[in-house]
Amino acid sequence: MSHNSSSPDFLHHHFHDVDQQYQTSKFGMWAFILTEVLTFGGLFVAYTVYRSWYPEMFYDAHLLLDVQKGMLNTIVLISSSLTMALAIWAIQKKNKKLSLWMLVITWVLALGFLGIKYLEYSHKFEVGQLPGIFYSYMGPEVVNIDNPHIFFGIYFIMTGLHGLHVAIGMGLIAWLIYLTKKDKLHSEYYTPMETVGIFWHLVDLIWIYLFPLFYLIG
Amino acid sequence: MSNEHHITPLRTYLIIAGSLLFLTGVTVWVSYIDLGSFNIILAMAVATLKATLVVLFFMHLLWDDKKNLVIFVMSLMFLGIFITFTLLDTGFRGGINPEVKTAIKSKASFYDNLPLTDTHGNPVESHEDHHEGEDDSHH
Amino acid sequence: MSENQNINYLNHPKGIMSWLLTLDHKRIGLMYLFSGIIFFLIGGLLALGMRLELAAPGNDFVSNDTYNSMYTLHGAIMIFLFIIPAIPGALGNILLPLMVGAKDVAFPRLNLASFYIYSFGALFAIYTIVNGGVDTGWTFYTPYSTQSTSNVVPMTLGIFIIGFSSILTGLNFIATVHKMRVPGLTWYKLPLFVWALYGTSLVQITATPVLAITMVLLILERFLGIGIFDPALGGDPVLYQHFFWFYSHPAVYIMILPAFGIISEIIPVHSRKKVWGYKFIAYSTLSIAFIGFLVWGHHMFTSGQSVFSQIVFSFITYFVGIPTGVKIFSWILTMYKGQVSFTTPMIYALSFLFLFTIGGLTGIFLGAVALDIHLHDTYFVVAHFHYVMQGGTIIAFLAGLHHWWPKSFGKMYNQKIASLCALGVFIGFNGTFFPQFLLGLRGMPRRYATYSDQFSELHTYSTFWSTILGLSIFIAILNLMWSLRKSNKLNPGSNPWGALTMEWTHTSSPPHPHNFESDPVFTNGPYDYDKVIVEPTLKK
Repeated sequence: MSHNSSSPDFLHHHFHDVDQQYQTSKFGMWAFILTEVLTFGGLFVAYTVYRSWYPEMFYDAHLLLDVQKGMLNTIVLISSSLTMALAIWAIQKKNKKLSLWMLVITWVLALGFLGIKYLEYSHKFEVGQLPGIFYSYMGPEVVNIDNPHIFFGIYFIMTGLHGLHVAIGMGLIAWLIYLTKKDKLHSEYYTPMETVGIFWHLVDLIWIYLFPLFYLIG
Repeated sequence: MSNEHHITPLRTYLIIAGSLLFLTGVTVWVSYIDLGSFNIILAMAVATLKATLVVLFFMHLLWDDKKNLVIFVMSLMFLGIFITFTLLDTGFRGGINPEVKTAIKSKASFYDNLPLTDTHGNPVESHEDHHEGEDDSHH
Repeated sequence: MSENQNINYLNHPKGIMSWLLTLDHKRIGLMYLFSGIIFFLIGGLLALGMRLELAAPGNDFVSNDTYNSMYTLHGAIMIFLFIIPAIPGALGNILLPLMVGAKDVAFPRLNLASFYIYSFGALFAIYTIVNGGVDTGWTFYTPYSTQSTSNVVPMTLGIFIIGFSSILTGLNFIATVHKMRVPGLTWYKLPLFVWALYGTSLVQITATPVLAITMVLLILERFLGIGIFDPALGGDPVLYQHFFWFYSHPAVYIMILPAFGIISEIIPVHSRKKVWGYKFIAYSTLSIAFIGFLVWGHHMFTSGQSVFSQIVFSFITYFVGIPTGVKIFSWILTMYKGQVSFTTPMIYALSFLFLFTIGGLTGIFLGAVALDIHLHDTYFVVAHFHYVMQGGTIIAFLAGLHHWWPKSFGKMYNQKIASLCALGVFIGFNGTFFPQFLLGLRGMPRRYATYSDQFSELHTYSTFWSTILGLSIFIAILNLMWSLRKSNKLNPGSNPWGALTMEWTHTSSPPHPHNFESDPVFTNGPYDYDKVIVEPTLKK
């Protein structure tokens, strides 16, 4: 039970062995994923309720969104999920250089996502498609529909919270880059990369639903 | 240590990523075809298929300790409960009092003061007198 | 136990930084304990202030607005700053690793972070108190909460932050129970308090995120007028209630399940008898945790939700009482033919059985839509939830404190005073809250600072007995604190009650910083009083 000098330095004292620590860390991250599903889930409930009450308003208002940018963002996130998974694959294969490159590309793709989002948001700010009482756009597409501010309110909250998670993910990935560079992560111990990876894939997962729900209302 | 961990083959990752991009294209393409209420069902089905691929392969649940899969499925179950039971209320209002089904006023009050705009959000001259001269700022 | 009897988690390591940066779950538990007690006392003072106002009709003590702030703060502090964080946080943190044979929880640094996040959120609550309070009721119903000029945002922000603490604690405990059990300790050999904490933690991680997003949406509605809760903006205030109660109903199970666990530990020990229906109690915990997510609409019977959902929520509400009833029968059967000793923990446990049963049954009354239409927002509801939350949880908490105090501190309190206080709590509690059932049935609304003369007699009785209740609780806590003085030579030994669970049999009192010398080996089940005799180290 007590650790001796042959215990790896990444093994925390309250764990018996490396495998217990690894399995526990992943388990803990999945429990955290459960909480994220329910946090975003609340917003999906709000979306479902209001779309069921105002189906035409949702359709008409969504025409103001830029499908191309939305699709580009989807491609960006899916690619970043791939590169994140490849970063782990590389470190498992003892290829530190490739792993670092994959992490960096993931980070850049995430930045790209935020950049595209910024373009979308700034356009909306310009024309007045803002959440809630700040809404002021009364162009021809929405002049005959009621309460488009609700659509944009829900749109901004959901994509905003998602964007916040992308930013947090970028911070975590930067931390992984630092750890990998310093050889604190390697083929024997890459648990933080896996757990951050799970978080990153969740961010991708949420967007997989946000994209059709907002941009592709049939 | 890492010998005990399952390493997903590179091929698998690339095939899954490719499938995800393909399915994205499918979703976009289908959304332009009018299938009525079936559109949302199809969109959600494709999204769920994509999500399943991400969860099982990228997030490794296919090979992981099954407890982790149970946790994830439970999260979806409770979300389902939240949505379903809320819709039991919001979808069935007016069972006894039909008058509560329709809003007293369909548009929020602040729209009364909003001028019509062009597609750039700039106010346009409208035919109604009391909109003239108002600028964008309201409340 | 250990060769050097003097080294324990209280005195080693030394220094204030070793406490502020501790990763020792027992020290973190103590920090939760003392913070929790402070907020309990603040919430209690608010309650006594309310009772003072209600002693006579008319606004003799405070204005209506001040009274509104008092009940809001009383509710929010008791629920969000005491019961939910402090009971799992204090007793859970101290005991869980000991009970599963682990050196610490799964994520000790996260545990410390949980405490600091709780403290940070609590600062917002303190700010709200000194800055004039908040008057929406602890439920923050829209549209009033989106319009009230009182400190809605600081309070809800504080609750949002504390929610994270709750989630992280729950996550930690689940991982601990699943992954940190000493080898050979299978699920059915676990103490029932562990099952209770496990069930509580499942509810915490599943429900609290929805509270978090609800508070965020409320704050955004205030600042941005999003329009999903405000009818003037096209929104639906009932939707807010769905969001709020999706968390807050399971939250009441977060509040009661640990209490059930405490009772499950105390009754076999102080009856020196094996638990009857171990699996019933274990599975009923999980059933309550699950069914508790399906009934939230019973708080909304008068809100205007659809009749269809009223029927569904009422119907399922009846099922949620069944597993609880199973527990009550199991506890009673555990005591049957046992050697019951009327120690302070046992007196509190017996009070619990009586008071919680009344509370639970009156909850069933309220589950019937036809009755609830009349009783909603009356004092009947107030009495119901005080019977379950105070007669239930807080009395179980006091029971647990008195039961595990000698283990945690290696000191014994004055049992005569403690037992006298327990009686005072029981009598004072019934005197305070039973009249409130009658008040509610006769139509006295809740959240009113003043009332018509017909209610004054019962209100006066209630206020009188509330002073007895308050005094008894206060002296009970003082008595416990007094036992910590240096000159207290009452040494209870490592197992004062002769219990069989690992925290008693395998650790010293107080425990060593690393809990166990080596991996504990256990030769008996947690409640094998029929097979094993362990002499209590506390001489009667």
